[in-house]
Amino acid sequence: MKRMKKTWPFHVMLLPAVICLFLFSYLPMGGIIMAFQNYKPWLGLSGSEWVGLDNFRYLFERQDSMQVILNTLVIAVLKIVFNLLIPFGFAILLNEVRKTAVKGTIQTLVYLPHFLSWVILGGILIEMLAVDGFANRILGMFGVDPIFFLGDNNWFRFTVIISDVWKEFGYNTIVFLAALAGVNPTLYEAAEMDGASRFRQTLHITIPSMLPITVVVGTLALGNVLNAGFDQIFNLYNPLVYEKGDIIDTFVYRTAIINGEMGFGTAIGLFKSVISMILILVSYRMAYKWAGYRIF
Amino acid sequence: MKQRKKWMPVLASLVLAGSLTACSGGSEAEQPQTPSAEPKSENVYKEKYDPEVTISTVWGIDPTLQYKNGETIENNVATKWAKEKMGINIKTLWSITDTNGAFGTKLRLSMSSGQDMPDIVTLGNENNQLAQDLIDSGMFADAGALFDQYASDNWKKAMDLDPGVWNQYTRDGKRMGIPVLDYAYNHDYVLWIRQDWLDKLGMSAPKTMDDLEKVMDAFRNQNPSGLAPDKVTPLSIGFKTSMNTWMADPSWIFGAYGTLPQQWNEGADGSLEYGSVNPAMKEGLLKLKEWLEKGYIPKEAALWDENKTAEPAVAGTAGIIPGPYWMSGWPLSDTVKNDPDAVWKPIPIPVGPDGTAMRHGTHYTNGVTLINKDMEHPEAFFTYQNYLFDNYASAGPGSEFENGLFEGYDYQLDENGKMIPNDEIDGGFVNALRYLLVRDGARIPDAQMKALMKLADGAEPESRLEKEVAVNYGKDTPEAAKVLLSQEEISKKNLFTGPTTETMKSKWDYLTKIENQIMNEIIYGKQPVDAFDTFVQTWTAGGGEQITKEVNEWYQSVK
Amino acid sequence: MYYKSLGYRVFNVFNIGFLIFLAVLCIVPLIHVLAISFSSKAAADASLVGLWPVEFSIEAYKKTMNNPAFLRSILISVARTVLGTAVTLAVTFLAAYPLSKDNSVFRSRSFYSWLFVFSMIFNGGLVPFYIVIQKLGLINSFWVLVLPATVNTFLVILMLNFFRGIPKELEEAALIDGAGHFKTLFRIYLPVSLPSIATIALFSMVFHWNSWFDGLLYLNDSRDFPLATFLQTVIIQRDMSSMSMSPQEMELISQTTVNAAQIFIGALPILLVYPFLQRFFVKGMTLGSVKE
Repeated sequence: MKRMKKTWPFHVMLLPAVICLFLFSYLPMGGIIMAFQNYKPWLGLSGSEWVGLDNFRYLFERQDSMQVILNTLVIAVLKIVFNLLIPFGFAILLNEVRKTAVKGTIQTLVYLPHFLSWVILGGILIEMLAVDGFANRILGMFGVDPIFFLGDNNWFRFTVIISDVWKEFGYNTIVFLAALAGVNPTLYEAAEMDGASRFRQTLHITIPSMLPITVVVGTLALGNVLNAGFDQIFNLYNPLVYEKGDIIDTFVYRTAIINGEMGFGTAIGLFKSVISMILILVSYRMAYKWAGYRIF
Repeated sequence: MKQRKKWMPVLASLVLAGSLTACSGGSEAEQPQTPSAEPKSENVYKEKYDPEVTISTVWGIDPTLQYKNGETIENNVATKWAKEKMGINIKTLWSITDTNGAFGTKLRLSMSSGQDMPDIVTLGNENNQLAQDLIDSGMFADAGALFDQYASDNWKKAMDLDPGVWNQYTRDGKRMGIPVLDYAYNHDYVLWIRQDWLDKLGMSAPKTMDDLEKVMDAFRNQNPSGLAPDKVTPLSIGFKTSMNTWMADPSWIFGAYGTLPQQWNEGADGSLEYGSVNPAMKEGLLKLKEWLEKGYIPKEAALWDENKTAEPAVAGTAGIIPGPYWMSGWPLSDTVKNDPDAVWKPIPIPVGPDGTAMRHGTHYTNGVTLINKDMEHPEAFFTYQNYLFDNYASAGPGSEFENGLFEGYDYQLDENGKMIPNDEIDGGFVNALRYLLVRDGARIPDAQMKALMKLADGAEPESRLEKEVAVNYGKDTPEAAKVLLSQEEISKKNLFTGPTTETMKSKWDYLTKIENQIMNEIIYGKQPVDAFDTFVQTWTAGGGEQITKEVNEWYQSVK
Repeated sequence: MYYKSLGYRVFNVFNIGFLIFLAVLCIVPLIHVLAISFSSKAAADASLVGLWPVEFSIEAYKKTMNNPAFLRSILISVARTVLGTAVTLAVTFLAAYPLSKDNSVFRSRSFYSWLFVFSMIFNGGLVPFYIVIQKLGLINSFWVLVLPATVNTFLVILMLNFFRGIPKELEEAALIDGAGHFKTLFRIYLPVSLPSIATIALFSMVFHWNSWFDGLLYLNDSRDFPLATFLQTVIIQRDMSSMSMSPQEMELISQTTVNAAQIFIGALPILLVYPFLQRFFVKGMTLGSVKE
């Protein structure tokens, strides 16, 4: 039993990963100081002028920044919620299909949109969601008036969230299906013996067995709470929906990337990281306290 | 959790270590490696260098650029030519396919990480901010002085057509970059209209806004091709990103009422004013709103970009599309494939109720070339460019480049010595111009129009440029050029060409955003037109006034 | 058996119908892209193509296949995907084992796990990262496509959670037999973790196959680009607002059909590999054990 107490093998096992982390994550983190500088590339990190919190102040000085942060939060939170719930439900439904060929085909198909970039999908969606586009023609058959999906502030967020869920739900199902496949078949057999209906089996065996992985994925997703999806919004938005559709990342793109204000871009990044860190800490604690579940 | 706290100092020191490495790395290499070159004696400039000299550069490769014969950007027909003809070695430090600003990002990164800067770098307008930063970095030479010393007369003459081209790159009277010249009027608009529809309706080309409305109404409601009204796009325009771009924007509609949006125009008192806040905008906005309601412009114009507006035009369902004179080549030449009867004709921009018309103008420059102050032989760059300005830019019959740059690449002759169309070249057309140090090689701003005017008068193409436009541009291009020049006086350039002002840096994005928002909302009827006045107040108070002041200070300084 | 009951059969019919409907909804855009790739250029430019090719043509595929750069980029992509996935799997597998232990067994665990989580949330941004890559001599090296992406905290967390699901008895039995941690990891954990390894392999493969930005930034020569980077450079439209345009250029840019063909070919390998891997890990799972 002595060998078990030794922990040096643990450190050895972690060594390659830690080296990679150090080189590719922690070394570059030195750049965070740019957030407090009026960074000029030719002056470098040591030579650029220190401006304290000016970069952060600018974010909050803009008349529209509260709206932008709110947009980001609303879109991101709804995306996180639906990107958990829908794959969760879908995995359970798919698991009920017992013909392997049908199951496999469906799974492969729903997985496809994940591979198309938003640049491509943006173009297709703009076409399909046009006032006289495919989606509205279908709705028209049910007597619904044409909807200006991408040009109406009330519809834009809805469109963004639904299209994101549509793109990602198949792919997000993978983890849940893996968890489902890992459920011990004897549990079902025992339930079957007790005469439990399939619905009850689902409720008492399937769902509880998926909860741990759901908590993991959900907690990790919280780190994305200020990432509302730059690629998607950037390819879909337009001045008509600035009010409800402009998010932090599109705003940073317009100022930081196009104007090359790197200090400002870094400041926003840091702001987002700190918020994410707090959220992850909180949810980690909650998962541990209430569910007795350690995520990492 | 105690564990974590204990480790925090370790984490912090890791981060610190990271930052130290990063910054020492950055600053060390940024010190100039060698003191700047001592003054050169007068006769260093040569037609051919022996021993050979080297010019290093970096390339943002056009994504559409093709290669043939196993060549690359580092080693191709143009680099061989420079070596043999002038004894100049072109050395590539790195190259990158330029999409989504990749070239700018990479150049910015290599500037930041202290890598060697190239001797010569050319940046397009899309990288203007980076060009300004590079100039401010102090790594580049007073290019104007070198230009005065070494540039040939032809090049100087071309540059003199508009002395304003230097403005953007001038610091304290020093001209820190050499503007890349472009053809005049490249983005100036004409209206392209379906002449076959007009003929069938027995109507003539619209001359005023009122005429235009009648024509659009007829196109829509009595469509000559028999299309249902809601299938027709009488006027294909879009303004997804801007009201003032290079194709199919509505700027000229505002022009009819006396202002051009999203550019700086000269006001009545001779000072500059921002076009989008001129009260005349209201009338244009009302017109657009009305046209949107009547179905004259696309229902989703707010979502349409340049490419999207071309779609109904190519499909044969659009009646009118505004855009540059070269559009008969692309995209309009494809319309006949979808509608065999289609005939597009260029017509002048219609005038407003009081006879006013305006269109946005084109600057004579589309970028800048910077010269490294540590470059050993800056004169070699001038040897290279002078040669192109003297021999290529206005190549006449019998000259080395009378048909184009390199045979088998950007042109080919058939057995009778006649130029064949680009798409029939063996192994494919290669835009060898993109292999040259400065993009587009050498352009004399007024040359393209001169060539087109000559062709419009029915002359046979003789010079390189005339042949090029005759063979490869759409057949209506000369006529469009003529239409364009018939309205020369309505072309209004953006008069602010200076570096980004201080207030612009922090406020401009917000101002542009509320501007775009209000315009769209008025056009779509979500806000009454009077909201425009509120917008102007917000704009002025939100930094617009200060920016206008700064812009005018600059304007006075260059006047 | 539950699936013989009437209620379940009715449910099953509706369920399959609903799932098929969702599946169809998901492939509509891809069919659209496919239809464009087989259509004539004029029809595609005019946006006349729906779900069926207009004026059928395989010109776009011919052009794509004749492009040596395209074929070369596929090879590079395959190389980076295989190597990158292998490295990631090895490192993740090793790192997840100690992290799956209790704090009482492995006392530095907390430090290590925060080291991982912290790295996932904070980053220094592009410029410092570029400087580090440059100092490591990775600029313009194939390895820049493989090494920086080695550790993905998300995958490590997935893996360690899989490990925690492995019954303690298995491990204890091994340790009593005198096996060390390495032996336990490879003899006991490895065989029962194949399904989770397959899942992680899939995530990692998809990541490597689709990554394009690294190629663009850290490789100096476009001939060394992986497929995703290559596609990005040909498909994405340039910001044309400030560029001088001429019809020749626009003609070249609007290669709608060729682009569609390339998108499709680019997605093909993953589409082919996926069902295979999927079957593999579903099969492997039956060996897997109960969680908690």
